[in-house]
Amino acid sequence: MTRTVVRASGLTKRYGSFTAVDGVDLALEEHKIYGLLGRNGAGKTTIMQLLTGQLFRNGGELEVFGREPAEHADVLRRMCFIAEAQRYPEDFTPAHVFKAAPWFFEHWDAEFAERLVADFRLPLKRRIKKLSRGQLSAVGVIVGLASRAPLTFFDEPYLGLDAVARHIFYDRLLEDYAEHPRTVVLSTHLIDEVANLLEHVILIDQGRILLDRDAEEVRGSATTVAGASRVVDEFVADRPVIGRESLGGLASVTIDGRLDRDERVRAAELGLELAPVSLQQLIVHLTGPEPAGAPEKEVAA
Amino acid sequence: MTAVATAPDTVTTPRFRPHEVFRVVRLHTVNPSIFFGVPWLILGGALVVTILIALILRGSGISDSEDGFRYSWAVLSPQWYLVVVGVQAVAYTFPFALGFGATRRDYWLGTSAMFVFVSFEMAVAIATLVQIEQATNGWGIGAGMFDALWYGIDGWWVDFYSTFALQLLVLFIGASITTVFMRWRMKGMMILLFGGIALLLALIAGLTFTESWPAVFDWFGSIGLVGVFTVLLGLAAVCAVVGYLVIRRATPR
Repeated sequence: MTRTVVRASGLTKRYGSFTAVDGVDLALEEHKIYGLLGRNGAGKTTIMQLLTGQLFRNGGELEVFGREPAEHADVLRRMCFIAEAQRYPEDFTPAHVFKAAPWFFEHWDAEFAERLVADFRLPLKRRIKKLSRGQLSAVGVIVGLASRAPLTFFDEPYLGLDAVARHIFYDRLLEDYAEHPRTVVLSTHLIDEVANLLEHVILIDQGRILLDRDAEEVRGSATTVAGASRVVDEFVADRPVIGRESLGGLASVTIDGRLDRDERVRAAELGLELAPVSLQQLIVHLTGPEPAGAPEKEVAA
Repeated sequence: MTAVATAPDTVTTPRFRPHEVFRVVRLHTVNPSIFFGVPWLILGGALVVTILIALILRGSGISDSEDGFRYSWAVLSPQWYLVVVGVQAVAYTFPFALGFGATRRDYWLGTSAMFVFVSFEMAVAIATLVQIEQATNGWGIGAGMFDALWYGIDGWWVDFYSTFALQLLVLFIGASITTVFMRWRMKGMMILLFGGIALLLALIAGLTFTESWPAVFDWFGSIGLVGVFTVLLGLAAVCAVVGYLVIRRATPR
């Protein structure tokens, strides 16, 4: 039986006249890895701050582990959220952070943290203020992983991390997740980097949820059809088009929904090329400057 | 099957959670230089300067009855730094504690406990140093750093009490004003600043027009040194309570 650890309906957060989170309905299930995706300023961090009781909502209902998160110690102790722009106490070093962590996270694994520090080559005695962006991200990643909190948030964990470090995060998260299942929410705008890690995708744009679907489903949910413009247009005529590029007499059109066997055969007979759409491409189509159904974008030759 | 996790495994935690509050105290001491190292470094530095000045004065033949060490503010030198410590405790350590899953309530209680402890420690030490300075006749050369201002006149207990009250006020003023910023941002700070100025002007005008200044001075005279510091201690308590109420809805940047 799967338990729902987070349940939100109509969740809203306003800053003056700006609505950062606009009536979001959300349910997060236990022991899954969620991707909270969206462009910069889409409302990803605000949603995580609401779920962890750091911000107070202006409207809607929210339950985390069965109750209101803000100011409830029994809910908060099961969560870990190191924000991308996290503030640290004056003159703190990573060593201070990892020394204090076990007092706040009952499942803290100090040995695991030590191994991660070595993996990421994080200088323990350097002041947080003097760390590079990647090293700062590593501090948040290490706390998130070693805390083993039942609900762990990673806010833009890849910011500034080099390729090796990104790989380490990917590997360690999957290894540890297999041994210690928990609910992970990973926010990022670097979508291709994490695409394979995610089990469920929640796409946010301008404070609203555009997509809330199983990652596997999303991956196969769109197809790009390429070929001669006229033939392509005919083929996609009655399908929902979410993106279009054309170059001379050629067109490449992205359609929402998968193609069945017969359709694939027909496309091949027409001389059209079919290509799967990556998560990132799909999201660019969905949140890009031209919303679905808008006038097509012409690529200058 | 999907089920909503309602009440079953969420046991309501008791109102008083010593462990949760104590870990905030520990969080403040992870880097001991903030609350202990730097204040004592400042005091130590001031003592060195005071002794050097005393050596120069004695070297030039000025006796300790002619010098002005009684008017030296060196003993109060760490206070300015501790206002900043109070500010940083809320501006930086508070958002961090929230990220680590502390409640605002436990954070403020733990921070207050830390403030009380630091004030107590500073008060014991300074009151004792006053005694040592008097016993050694100003570190052997008539230097007067601790035996200055109101210190060293009414004995250890008054020195202790006055330092404790002043220290607590300094820490809580810095912290509680910052809670206003953390809750209402710049708008709140502006209202607080101009509201404070307006209140002060109104008070001055009121006292001036009713010609009650002599009565005010008489009152301060009648409550004496201990009375004045009791007023400061009361102000510290007000800051502590206001800070608690304000921080309960404060949000990190």
